[in-house]
Amino acid sequence: MTRLPGVRTTCGALFSLVLTTWCSTTPAADAPVSPNHAREMSRGLELFKSDVRAILTTHCLDCHGGKTTKGDFNLVTRENLLREGTEGPNVVLGKSAESRMYRQVAHLDRPHMPAKAAKLPDDAINKIGKWIDAGAPYDKPLVETQVAKTKDRSVVTDADRSFWSFQPLANSTPPNVKANAWVRTPVDQFIVAKLDEKGIKPNPIADKRHLIRRATFDLTGLPPTPEEIDAFLNDNRPDAYERVVDRLLTSPRMGERWARFWLDLARYAESHGYEQDYDRNFAFYYRDFLIRAINDDMPYNQFVRWQIAGDELAPESPLALMATGFLGAGTHATQITANQVEKERYDELDDMAATTGTAMLGLTIGCARCHDHKFDPIPTNDYYRMVATFTTTVRSEIDLDLNPDQTKKAKADFDAAHAKVVQSRTEYETGVLPGNVTSWIASKPQPFGIPTDLRAGAIAALLSVPSEKRTPAQLIALTSYFREHDEAWQARDKAVHEHEKLAPKPALKKVMITSEGVPAIRFHTQGGDFLEKTHYLKRGDLAQKQGEATAGVLQVLNRASDGDGHWKAVPPKGVHTSYRRTGLANWLTDMDTGAGHLLARVVVNRLWQGHFGRGLVATPSDFGTQGERPSHPELLDYLASELVRNGWHLKPIHRLMMTSAVYQQTAEDDAARTKIDPENALCWRRPHRRLEAEAIRDSMLAVSGQLDETMYGAGTLDESMRRRSIYFMIKRSHLIPLMMLFDAPDSLVGMGKRQATTVAPQALALINNPQVRSYAKGLATRVLPAAKTSASDAVRQAYRLTLGRVPDSDELVATLDFLVAQAERYRADGKADPLALALEDACQSLLCLNEFVYID
Amino acid sequence: MLIPKIFATPNLPDTTRREFLARAGNGAGMLALAGLLGSEAGAVETSTSINPLAPHPGHFKTKAKSVIWLFLNGGPSQVDTWDYKPELAKRDGKELPGFDKNTGFFTGQVGPLMKSPFKFAQHGQNGTWVSEIFPNMAKHVDDLAIMYSCFTHTNNHSPALFEINTGFSRMGFPCMGAWVTYGLGTENQNLPAFVVMYDTLGRGIPKGHAQNWGTGFLPGVFQGTALNAQGAPINNLDPGKERSAAEQRAQLDLLARLNKHDLAKHPREAELSARIESFELAYRMQMAAPEALDVARESKATQDLYGLNDKKCGHFARQCLMARRLVERGVRFVQIYSGGMENERSWDGHSNIADNHSGFAKETDQPIAALLTDLKSRGLLDETLVICNGEFGRLPIVQKGGTGRDHNPHAFTTWLAGGGTKAGARYGKTDDIGHKAVENKVSINDLHATVLHLLGIDHERLTYRFNGRNFRLTDVAGQVVKEVVA
Repeated sequence: MTRLPGVRTTCGALFSLVLTTWCSTTPAADAPVSPNHAREMSRGLELFKSDVRAILTTHCLDCHGGKTTKGDFNLVTRENLLREGTEGPNVVLGKSAESRMYRQVAHLDRPHMPAKAAKLPDDAINKIGKWIDAGAPYDKPLVETQVAKTKDRSVVTDADRSFWSFQPLANSTPPNVKANAWVRTPVDQFIVAKLDEKGIKPNPIADKRHLIRRATFDLTGLPPTPEEIDAFLNDNRPDAYERVVDRLLTSPRMGERWARFWLDLARYAESHGYEQDYDRNFAFYYRDFLIRAINDDMPYNQFVRWQIAGDELAPESPLALMATGFLGAGTHATQITANQVEKERYDELDDMAATTGTAMLGLTIGCARCHDHKFDPIPTNDYYRMVATFTTTVRSEIDLDLNPDQTKKAKADFDAAHAKVVQSRTEYETGVLPGNVTSWIASKPQPFGIPTDLRAGAIAALLSVPSEKRTPAQLIALTSYFREHDEAWQARDKAVHEHEKLAPKPALKKVMITSEGVPAIRFHTQGGDFLEKTHYLKRGDLAQKQGEATAGVLQVLNRASDGDGHWKAVPPKGVHTSYRRTGLANWLTDMDTGAGHLLARVVVNRLWQGHFGRGLVATPSDFGTQGERPSHPELLDYLASELVRNGWHLKPIHRLMMTSAVYQQTAEDDAARTKIDPENALCWRRPHRRLEAEAIRDSMLAVSGQLDETMYGAGTLDESMRRRSIYFMIKRSHLIPLMMLFDAPDSLVGMGKRQATTVAPQALALINNPQVRSYAKGLATRVLPAAKTSASDAVRQAYRLTLGRVPDSDELVATLDFLVAQAERYRADGKADPLALALEDACQSLLCLNEFVYID
Repeated sequence: MLIPKIFATPNLPDTTRREFLARAGNGAGMLALAGLLGSEAGAVETSTSINPLAPHPGHFKTKAKSVIWLFLNGGPSQVDTWDYKPELAKRDGKELPGFDKNTGFFTGQVGPLMKSPFKFAQHGQNGTWVSEIFPNMAKHVDDLAIMYSCFTHTNNHSPALFEINTGFSRMGFPCMGAWVTYGLGTENQNLPAFVVMYDTLGRGIPKGHAQNWGTGFLPGVFQGTALNAQGAPINNLDPGKERSAAEQRAQLDLLARLNKHDLAKHPREAELSARIESFELAYRMQMAAPEALDVARESKATQDLYGLNDKKCGHFARQCLMARRLVERGVRFVQIYSGGMENERSWDGHSNIADNHSGFAKETDQPIAALLTDLKSRGLLDETLVICNGEFGRLPIVQKGGTGRDHNPHAFTTWLAGGGTKAGARYGKTDDIGHKAVENKVSINDLHATVLHLLGIDHERLTYRFNGRNFRLTDVAGQVVKEVVA
C-alpha cells in the first residue's frame, strides 16, 4: 500500500536523490520553495553533520528506528522522518514551530520527548529547530545498514512463503525406529524417534480402568458408567480398547463435547452484546449444526466451506445455512450513532476476517489492519482484500424448512394420494356425467333453484337452444351447471377439496444465518446495515481512505499462477449473493495452490491438543512466525496428509491418535525426564488435565443420575437446567457463573485454548452452590438404597459412579468414619434423616475430589 | 459442641505445605507465572496458572497498593462540576458556530450554548473553582490532582464505557481492574481481588453490563466480582441452612483427607496441592467476606461521616464505606458505579442538567468526601489511589427540547487522590466554553498508563499474549501524565 517513495539506493546516492525529489514526495509539497533553498539546505547539512546527527543518535534513535520504532516514527533516514504519522506529519519542512517533532522535544506539546528522560538542553533543542527550518537534510542515514535492513512488508516473496507453515505438506513417512514393543501406530514411530534423540523412554501403557476413563472423557466429556467399565474390563479380546474407542466415536455425546471447542473458536454467543445485548433467539442453530456435523463426521473441508459460504454452496440444505452462523456469531453494536456507523461496520468486518483467520488458518490477520503485519507476511492490502470479501455480508433471520427431505417425501406421498381422489372425480366426469347431462337436457327441465336468479335465466336460455345448434361451449356451461346439482359429482368434488386441505406444509422455523441480499437484523442505527464498498484504510483510519478494496486472498498462501482469480466464483443468474465468500471458501480448502495445507495442519493440531493437552504447535491459533514451532513437524504433516487422504474425515484421525501408545501411556511423572523436557513437549507421559467447565458440570450431573440427554434446540439461562452445559444459552451480559468460574470463555474473541486456573471461588461454588448441592443429593439418592443395608456398599457404589473404581481400604475407612460421625452430628441437631444427610455430604466431597476433575 | 475452625490451617503433607508457605511467604506467587510481569519473552498463550491471584511485586516500588474508582455513570458534565467556564455564561443562548451536529447522540436536538445552572466558587489553597453541587468535595480540593483535558473516542455509552474501562471501544478486552490484578495479584486471598459495586436502588447496571468488569482474553479469575444488589452480596458464600459450621468443617476435613491420599500418588503435581488449598481458602472466604462487607461494625461517628443513614446518599455511602473496609483488608481494586443504566437514572442528564446533576451530587458528594477524610485519618490515603470520572463529558450547548446536555466525547474531567498522586496538581485545559480539550490532552490510554504507573506498573511491559499478539491495556499508545504524580 504505502511504499516508501522509491529510494532504495546506496547511501551516498540517497541524499542527492532526496534533495531533488523531496518537494514532490513530502507533505510539504504544496509549500513554496524558498528562494534561498539551496543555501539553507547546505547550512542545514552542516548543522546535521556537526551536531544534530549526534543529538538524534544519542537521544532519539533508540526508540525511533534504532532498537524499536515507537509511535511509528522512524528517523533513521530522511525518507522516514518525513513520512506522515497517525496524526499528520512529524516534521513540517522549514517550519520547526509547526513540527510535532520540535514541539515535543521543546516540551510545547505532549508527549514530551525524549519520553523517559530529562528535557534536552536548550542549545540542542535550538539546533534541531534550526535544522528543521533549513529543510532537515541528512548526509546519510543515522544507521548505515538501515536501508538494506528495511523490508518492504507490502510485498510477499517466495522467501516469505518458505516459512514452515506456509509450505505445502511434506511427504512425511513414519521414521524407522528400533524394534519396539511399545509402538502401536505410525504416530508412535514419530514420537519414539524424537524421544530416542534425547534418550528418553516413554511411560508404559496405562491400565484398562485409566484407559476407558481417559477415552470416555476425551471423546464425550462424561465419565464412563460402571457398566461400561465392567464390560471393558471383562473384554479380553486383543482389540477391546479399539472397540471402546469405536463405540465412543459413534456416541452422540461426542458432538456435544467437541462442538464446544469450535464454539470457543467461533466466539459464539446468543446475544448481540453492547448497549442492550439483545438476544439472538435463533442463533443456536449454529451450535446444532456443529454437533450434527461432528457426529456425522462431516468432511472438514465441507465443514469449513459451509461456515463461510453455506448459503451459496448448498442453499437447499438447512444445515449449510445454519453453518453460516459462524461469521455472524460475533458482537454487533446496537444504538449506533451517525459518527460511528462506518467505524462499527469496519469493526464488524474485522471481526469476521480476524476470526476466520485465527480459527481456520491459525493466522493473526487482524494485526494487519493498521500496518503491514509486523511479523507475518500479511500486508495491509491483503487484510483489506480479505475484509472486502464480507462487504455485503449481514446477519439475517429467515424462515427455513429444517427438514426439506421429509417435506419433499410428504409432498410426494400426498400428491400420489391426491391424484387418486382427483382421478375418481375425473372418471365420473368422463364416464357417467355426460350421459346424465344428456338425459337431463332431454327431459326439458327448468333450471334448478329460484327462477329470478340471473344465472337460472341464462341456463333457461341455453336449454331452449335446440340440441343440434348447441355449441360445445354451451354444452360445457350446461354441464358445469348440472353437476353442481348432481350429488354424486358433488361428493367426489368435495372429496378433492377436503383432501387438498391435507396438503403438508413445511414446518418453517426462524433461523439466524449470515448471508447477503437478505434483510439484516437491525437495531437502532443512524446508518445502513453495511457500507457499499470496502476501502483500503491507511493506518486503519477511516479518515484516510485509499481506494476500493476488492475481495482477495492472502498472497502468502497463494501459489496459483493466475492469482486471486483462481478461486473466484461467479454468481449464477438470479442469486442475491456476491459469491465472494465462495471464492474465499474455495481458496481456504484448496490443497494445490491455496490455503488447504495450512487449514489441514491447523485442525489436526487442534485435535492433538484436545487429546494431549498441548498441540504439536503449542500456539494453536498462531501458526505465524511469532507462534511456536511444531515440536514434531513431520508428525503434524503426516496427520494433515492422513486427514486429506481420508477425505477430510476427522474421526479416523481421532482414532489414529487415541489408539497410539503415546495416548495410552501412564501419567506418571519423573524428575529425570522432567529435567530434560519440562513441558513434556516430546510426549513421554500422559499429562494430568483438569476437565473444562462444561465437563465438570456435566459429569456431576451424570453421576447424580439427573442428566437429561435431550439434544439440540433453544438453550436456557436457567442454572437449574439438567441438560448438558452446551445447551446453556450464551448471553454476553449474563454468562453462566459456574461456567465462567471454571474458565469458560466470554465469547467475544475466538479462543483456541482455555486456561485451567485454580482459585478459591471455584471451591466456594463446589461446596456451597445450590446446584452442586443438588447434584450431590442426586448421587446420594442413587446409593442410599445400598446404604440401608451396608454403608460400605454405598460408599463403594459412589466411588464406582464418580471415580470408576472402588475405594481402597484407607478411603473406605475414612469415608465410613465420616458417615458415622456426621450422621451423629445431624442426629444431635435433630435432623430427620441423619444418614441420608451424611451421605449427601460425603457424595459432595467425592464431587470435589481432585481425582474427579483431573483426568490422568 | 465443636467450635468452627474459622482459620483452620491447611491440612497438607509437610513437604507440600512447606513449599506452599515458602512460595506464599516471599510474595512471588505460588508458581512463577510465565507471561506475567516483566517476562514478555517467556510469555506463552498456553500457560496453566496456579493461583494467579497470589501477590507479586510491580515493576517498580510505589505507594499505591489499592485502587478505589468512583465512577459517575452516564457522563457527568465537566462545565457543571469542575471545569468552570465564565465565557460560557457570557455566550449563553448564542449559537456555537461550526458545531458538528453528529457530536452528541441526539443529532436533531442541537441547541445554543447554555451556561451552567450552578454557581461556582473558589476553594483550597490554589483557589480551585468547584460547582456548588459539591459542597463537601470542595473541602478536599487540596488533596486532588485534577485533569481537565480528558477525552474519549465515542459518543455513546457502552462503547465509551468499554473504552474507559478497557482502553478499547470494542467489546472483548480486559478491563483495568483485571489488568491490575493480573499484574499484581491481591494481598488478601480470603477476599475477591477486584470488587465492583453498582446501583442498589434498582436503577440498573451500567450499559455494556458485566463486560465493563470483564477479563476479555485474560484468565477468568481476574474478572471483577460484582456484588449483588440484593440478597447475598457474593455468590456461593452462604453454606445454607442444611449444614452447621461444624458439619461443613467435617465434610471439608473428609475432602482434605481423601485428596491428600490421592496426592500421595502424584506428589509432583503442584496443581493438585494448590487445589486442595483452594478449598481451605474458600472456607475462610466464607467467613471473611461477610465480615469485610458488614458496615454495621463501623462506629456511629464513621457511619454518620459517610451519611449511611441519610435517605438521599445512604446507598452510595454504604458502598464507599465497604470500599474502604475492602482496601483496608488488602483488596486490590474496587470500582463503584454511581447511578444506574437508563438516561435520567444516571448522570446522563439529557433533559434537565440542573435537576439531574444536583440529584446525583446529593447522592455522592458527602460519601466521597467522607471516604477521602476516612482514608486520610486512617493513614490509608497514601496507599489507596482514588479515581473519579465518568465515561465522557457533556456538551456546552443545550439539548433542544429541555435544559439538559447531550454527550460530549471531546472533554471531561478526571480527578485523582492519594496513592502517590500530586495533591493540588491541575493539569490540562479545555477551550473557553469547555467543549473540547485543547491543552495537554489526556487520552484514555494516558489515563490508564498513569494509573498503572502509580501502582508501580510500566504500562508498556504489562502484556498478555493472546492469539499471537502481545496485548496491553494501553494498546500501542499511552503516556504517563507525570505532572499528576508526586
